[in-house]
This record gives sequence, C-alpha cells and structure tokens, in this order.
Amino acid sequence: MALPELIFFGIDWVSFSIDFLEFYALYLAISLSLNLEFGYTGVPNFGKVLFIAGGAALGGILSGQLAARILGIGANEDYIAFSARIINSVNTQIVNDPLLAAGLLAFSLVIAALIGGALGFLASYPAIRLREDYLGMLLLGMAQFFDVVLRVLTQSQPISVPDPFYYWSTQGSGVETLVDMVVMVVFAIAVYFFIEKVVRSPLGRTLRAVRDNEDASAALGKDNAKIRRNVLIVASALAAMAGALYSFYAGSFEYDTWTRFAWTFWPFLIVIIGGAGNDSGVAVGTFFFTLIYKGLQQEQPALQPYIFFNANWLQDLLLAALLLAILFLRPEGIVRERSSYTLRKGTLGTIVRESGVEEGGAGAKGPGFFGRLMSRFRRKSESQPAKETG
Amino acid sequence: MVPEYLISALVYASLFAMMAMGLTLTYMTTKVPNFAYGDFVTLGIYSAYTATKVYGSNPYVGSVIGFGVGAVASAIMYLGVLRPLARRGSSLVSLMIATFGVDIGFVGLIGIYTDYLQYQVRLIDAPQFYALPDFSLGGYAGVVFVAPISVIAVVMAIYLLLTKTRFGVAMRAAVENPPLARVLGINVDFVYTISWMLAGGFAAYAGGLLTLQLPAGTATGSNLIVEIFSSSVLGGLTSIFGAAVGGLVIGASEILITLDLGLGFGYAGAIIIAAIFGLGGALLVRRGTKWGARLVGAIFAILGVWIIVDMVAGFPVDFLSPELVNGFGPNVSPFQQAIPLLIMVITLMVIPRGIFSINVRRLLGREKK
Repeated sequence: MALPELIFFGIDWVSFSIDFLEFYALYLAISLSLNLEFGYTGVPNFGKVLFIAGGAALGGILSGQLAARILGIGANEDYIAFSARIINSVNTQIVNDPLLAAGLLAFSLVIAALIGGALGFLASYPAIRLREDYLGMLLLGMAQFFDVVLRVLTQSQPISVPDPFYYWSTQGSGVETLVDMVVMVVFAIAVYFFIEKVVRSPLGRTLRAVRDNEDASAALGKDNAKIRRNVLIVASALAAMAGALYSFYAGSFEYDTWTRFAWTFWPFLIVIIGGAGNDSGVAVGTFFFTLIYKGLQQEQPALQPYIFFNANWLQDLLLAALLLAILFLRPEGIVRERSSYTLRKGTLGTIVRESGVEEGGAGAKGPGFFGRLMSRFRRKSESQPAKETG
Repeated sequence: MVPEYLISALVYASLFAMMAMGLTLTYMTTKVPNFAYGDFVTLGIYSAYTATKVYGSNPYVGSVIGFGVGAVASAIMYLGVLRPLARRGSSLVSLMIATFGVDIGFVGLIGIYTDYLQYQVRLIDAPQFYALPDFSLGGYAGVVFVAPISVIAVVMAIYLLLTKTRFGVAMRAAVENPPLARVLGINVDFVYTISWMLAGGFAAYAGGLLTLQLPAGTATGSNLIVEIFSSSVLGGLTSIFGAAVGGLVIGASEILITLDLGLGFGYAGAIIIAAIFGLGGALLVRRGTKWGARLVGAIFAILGVWIIVDMVAGFPVDFLSPELVNGFGPNVSPFQQAIPLLIMVITLMVIPRGIFSINVRRLLGREKK
C-alpha cells in the first residue's frame, strides 16, 4: 500500500502536506517550550540548539547502543564508525518485534528528557541568579562549545539512529513518514496542552510575576532563581524529546544539521511572529513561519539560476529582516498576550450562589463585592496563603 | 628565540584584549550584550582578505580599512536597529533578540560576499582560507609586534581620551548617568554612536590581524564569540581596562593550558594542579553554603588527593593523573574553547563583577569583613 498522489501545479500535495505538518509539529513543540522559558518566564535561552541537539544525539545514540546490546549485534565494533551497518540489522529485527520497538521509543524519549533536563540545569547553573544578559551570554557560549563536543563525538559523520517505526516502512513507500508525522503531531499537541495547563494554573501567574517584576515576586516569597531553573529544566526536557523524535524522522544524527540558525533563531522568530507569552499565538506563528519557510524552499531552485550566490544566504537575510520588521512594527506579535485567566461568568455565579452572598450587595466599607469574592476563591483554590485584597 | 607557543599566546591575548574592549564599550553604553559582535570580526577578516587577494595590497592595510568598515557597520546597527528599538521601550530581552537577528543578517551578507568572491572573482579559497602572508622582522612574523603594539596604543589612547579630553569626560558622564549628562548639555546620542563605531572598528581591526596568524573563514567571528564574551565578563563588563586584562588572560590561558594539557604538565605541574584541586575543594567544603557546593568541593578535594597518591604510587590506576603528567595528546585541541568557557563559569560564580572587583586586601587577610 503506497500513499496516493495528488498532483496539482506540479506539486504532490499529499507528500507536501505530510512534510508541512511534520515541520509544523516539530517547530510547534520546540517553540512552545521556548515560549515557556522566554515568553512566560523571561529566560532568554539563546542556547536552544544545545538542548534539542543533545536530546537528538544522546537519545538516538544511546537507544541505538542499547538495542544493539540487547540483540547482540556488533558487540566488537566501534559503534560510531559502523553505526549504519549496526542500525540496519537492528531495524530488520525491530520489524518482527513490536515490543522492542515500543520499548526503544519510550527509552529514547525518557533518556532525551533526562539529558535535556540535566543539560538545562548544568548549562544555566552559573548564571541563573544573575541578570538575563549574563544568562543569555552563558547559554550562547555553552551552545557554541557543545557544537564542538558534538562534532568530535560523532567524528563529523552521520550516526544512524534506530527506527521504532521501521515496521511501516515495509508497508509501502511514504507510509513511514506518515506515521512519523502523526507521532510528532500527537507530541506537539500534548506539549501544547501541558504548557497551557501550566500557565493557566497559579504557577503560570507566578511565572509571569517572575518575568514582569522580580522584586515583587521575591517579596511574595517566591525564589526567582529556582523558578527560572525549573522552567529551564522542564522546557529543555521537552525540547530534547522533540529533538529525539526528529532524529527518528531524519533517520540519522548529522552534526551539520544542528546550527544555531535553525534551532535557536527560528524558534525565537516564531515566538516573536506569533506573540510571546501566548500559546495560541505561537501556534499561529509556527504556521506562518512554516508557510514562509516552505515557500522559500519551494522557490529557491527557480531563483538560483538568476543569482550568483547561494540562495540560502538570501533566506537568512529575509528571515532576519522579518524579525526586525516585527520587532519594529508589531512587537507584541500577531496574537497579543492576554492577561491572566480569570473565572468564567458561570463559575462565578455558582460560587456566589453557594456562598449565600446577595448579588450586588457591595458594602460601603472594606473590599467590594468582587474583591471579597476573589479573596474567597483564592483561599479555596491556591495552596499558598492568600494575600489580603482589602 | 622565544618559543613558538609563547608568541602565539601573545598574539592571541592581544587580539582578544582588543575585541573584548570593543564589546565592553558597547555594553557600557547600551547595556545590551551584542550577539552580532563576532560578525564585526568577520568583516575585518574579509577586509584583510580582499585587500590582499583582490587588490594585491597587504593584510595590514586591509585591517586598517577593516576598522572603517567595522565602524560603519556598527554605527548602522546602533543607529538603525538598537537605538530606535530602545526608544520604543523594548525590553532588554527584545534588544538581545534584535542583535541576534542582526547577527543572522550579517552572516547572510558575508555569505553573499564570499560567494561573490568565489564565483565572480574566482578566488576558490574565499569561504575558508589559510593564514595570509606576513612580513618578517628579526625572524619573527610581523603580527607578533603589530598586535601587542596596537593594544598598548589603543589602551593608552583610550586612557588619555577618557581622562584628559573634554570628549572623554563627556563620554564617562554619558555612561554613568545619561539623564544628568543630557541636562549638562552633553550630546549623549553622539557619544554613544562614537562608542559603537570604536567598538566595531576594534573588532574588525583585530579580525584583520587574526588572518595573519590563523586560518580564517566565514564562521571564524561567530566562533570567537565564546572567547570575547568570556574576556568581557572576566573584565566585569563595565570596565574597558578590565576587558583588556580579561582578553589577555583568556587568550594566553587558552593557548598555554591547551598546549600543556596536550603535552603534559610534568610532575611539578601535576602537583600544583593537585594542590589547587585539593585546597579549592577543601575551601568549598568548609565555606560552601549549599550541599551541592560542598559535594562539588568534596569531589575536587578527593581528585586532588587522588592525583598525588596515584603519582607517588607510580600510576597503578590509569585515571587522570598519568595524563596530567604526560599529556592527553592532540585530542584535546578541538576542545580548547572549554578553557575560556570554564573561566567564564568561574567568574560568574565567584566574581560576577569581574576581575577588578577582587578585594586584594581582604584576600590577603589584612582587612576584616
């Protein structure tokens, strides 16, 4: 069974949309994790590539080695040098063993998350208590150095990654990419709802407080450095998992792929386009960025004969101009950040009825009707002691 | 004859000092770390390359022209991007992202230019080229004299400018307290623009001189950003002379420590390292306020003791100490950026205000807390 083809205007729309959705979901997951750091908490993670590449490299390589060890393949060979051959025979065994495939997928995701979290903690540790600019510089430097580490570790050659979805590649051409895409989309949706859940909780308001006014949040008993650190750990773990999933899609870990352009600059651009501190904005921003990027990729071959330089440079230039244009013309992005979520009208009514307070009975002294109501609600729902609203 | 490694350490140190001074100048004025700063270095590299390969001149002329090119690029960046954004009330993080965007833009422009050199001018080594030809003086390459002399000249010039001229005093005032300086009739914008131009110029000039010592290419400037930031942070980010000292320390230690790690420190060196590990670890264990710090201190102390014990026993276990004495081999050289990064980490954790904030009297115990 092969995927059907649907060709209009010389483009196969089925494979194009699979490609489009894969790219969209990958960058949605990464940008959402960046949005958690930069948009909600104000942590400028200029070393994003470090965490994604760390997850992709170590999640892929370690799960490959584990599979080879379990199956007893290539025990005496240098894994890095002969990864293509070893992984090839691992993949042929995966076809007959769905349990092993599922185990590998879970193992590499867990490993990627652990490594991403550990890297997030270690890379930011020295500067987590300092101002944003120190933290940004440190993370950028760490990412630059990690780039060198990866180059030496992989000896500048592609490292094959075991493919838990290999079964579907025997089911017809293009089926496996479809499965990869569906998994990535499911992951991105899960990340979306996870982050949405976090930022709608009291913790989400704490994050915004850390971003907007450190002194105020410190005065209310919040440990700003600890919150920033934990956010970096969680977001880096998510980014590393996205990287590991991407390495299954790509089939191998190639050192050249992991540039700070594609994995740090683009996510920042996406968050800026869509609107920082706003998940639906990031979803919209990723869509526009994917459109722009895929459009540029589509037009490049047509443009190339007319210019003397590599069209990739023009793409960098255009994306940089786009970023600056948005920063100048609409710094809040396409979708504006909304203020913290409050209760819906219906829920308010229920609380009012249950509490027995007469509607509209705002007293002449003390906090008004709404203030008393909110303080009631805060005391009920938040674990921290409520602050006086009066 | 002075050994080769000392010479390359001297050149490296001088160039980093100059680059770090420029970065610190921009940081002092606008309080934004400039992520596009490495591209000014690359502009200087290609000014030197163009002057030498296209116009048949020499890299020194190219470096001086590069000073102008870097200054203009820097001024455009400041006047065209950062100042208008800051006036719109952009946050610090937004400004950092803007410099990141400018970095990507510069990379694109430099890529277009090198493709032009490669395909139109037919210089096939344009994207990545070997060190350019240098004149020789008394058996040494010319840059060995030019780089340190340039740094000394720049430091002296900045010192005289800041202390002896009206413009320099205005500059200090504009950095310390912009609103008050404005009240006194100082044209703060003009002062900032000049600072940015000097910064871009220093970077590009140092980049031009770099081509005489090392192979260079389109990515060289961006890769050096680790060393430049480390130097500036070590200098405290707000002191030009601190940045010069930071650059000297970073440049020299990167070359010398990498070399020693490769070739081995010998027994005396290993004992010194063990002593540093042991004493530093013990200090951390005693003074550390967190269990994490104490744990790290304990590990360091154990490592220090281990090195000594293993060395005295004649290396029964092949872990760390024989390599320290005899060297890790050439495998360490790709990791040489770990040294500036490590210095930056230590600076941020121990003396975040930079090298000039160390109170020597308190350190010696002459002054109580």
